[in-house]
Amino acid sequence: MAHQAHAYHMVDPSPWPLTGAIAALLMTSGLAIWFHFHSTVLMTLGLILLLLTMYQWWRDIIREGTFQGHHTPPVQKGLRYGMILFITSEVFFFLGFFWAFYHSSLAPTPELGGCWPPTGITPLDPFEVPLLNTAVLLASGVTVTWAHHSIMEGERKQAIQSLTLTILLGLYFTALQATEYYEAPFTIADGVYGSTFFVATGFHGLHVIIGSTFLAVCLLRQVQYHFTSEHHFGFEAAAWYWHFVDVVWLFLYVSIYWWGS
Amino acid sequence: MAARLLLRSAVRAAVTRRASPAVALTRGMAAGGIPTDEEQATGLEKKIMNAMKAGSDPFNMLKPKEYAGSKSDPHLVPSITNKRIVGCVCEEDNTAVVWFWLHEGEAQRCPSCGSHYKLVPHELPH
Repeated sequence: MAHQAHAYHMVDPSPWPLTGAIAALLMTSGLAIWFHFHSTVLMTLGLILLLLTMYQWWRDIIREGTFQGHHTPPVQKGLRYGMILFITSEVFFFLGFFWAFYHSSLAPTPELGGCWPPTGITPLDPFEVPLLNTAVLLASGVTVTWAHHSIMEGERKQAIQSLTLTILLGLYFTALQATEYYEAPFTIADGVYGSTFFVATGFHGLHVIIGSTFLAVCLLRQVQYHFTSEHHFGFEAAAWYWHFVDVVWLFLYVSIYWWGS
Repeated sequence: MAARLLLRSAVRAAVTRRASPAVALTRGMAAGGIPTDEEQATGLEKKIMNAMKAGSDPFNMLKPKEYAGSKSDPHLVPSITNKRIVGCVCEEDNTAVVWFWLHEGEAQRCPSCGSHYKLVPHELPH
């Protein structure tokens, strides 16, 4: 017999919000301890607790949705809203860094030589590795769409192949960007150019790693038959996030790499 | 000794691999290999899926049907017990909602606008 007369999910009590909050506290105070007293113990503890929290919380969500059937249509709708709102908040996060970049680059101060790129900065050639990176991410956008259609059409082998390809392209981007960082003739300490370049592209790179990880989890779930051809919101959320990462790169490329050179 | 063990496990692996293709092909789906909700939905999601297919909406997921509210076409109010609270917004944009208990049996009328409401008991799927 049903125990509820509504289609929503009243979640069971869970310790993960508390452990997550404790992790946030330990990481922030640990950061301060590291800066002042040269010890990384507290921060590392916070980081480990954060990873454990994320693993167990999301594992529980998979259990509730896939294995227990709590993700009814209204619940799924709520999850969709949630992911869209989260991505929107991330858009605003990046908007801040673009604001900083344009603030400094549209009216370069005398200290920079009154020009952009500033005097002494040799920017990266936008038509070399950055262009390759653009092609890699655009291709990954195609493969993730291919994966989605494969899932909807019930094609297991193709879904696994295209999802794997997407993740490989994401890793390729990360590897290319890492070598670019290593080989760049300027650093984060090179004035406002260095700051805006590395903070904006650095946070983007972090999001690529997060997105690749999300997709990798989806691949594991797909292999284990979690997704059905109609209900696969975890994958859709990962795909939305991946497209968002791609779009941010396009803006970065056009603004910082191309116009900014 | 190690070589003998390796050979034994290789033989075992070769034998078992022959058995698995049959298992994979019958893994619940017609051709492609990805299950459908029909095959794999469980719990409340499955109950709702089956109810929707049968045309019923036991969990009130859809917008309620519109009724005239007259004696011959009263508002039908589904309930899992023998009474339910009704809030009547007599005219559109009214800010004062008229609340009252609706009991099973004959249709009751809103004390303010007189619309008819009738309780319709129904069971939750289980």
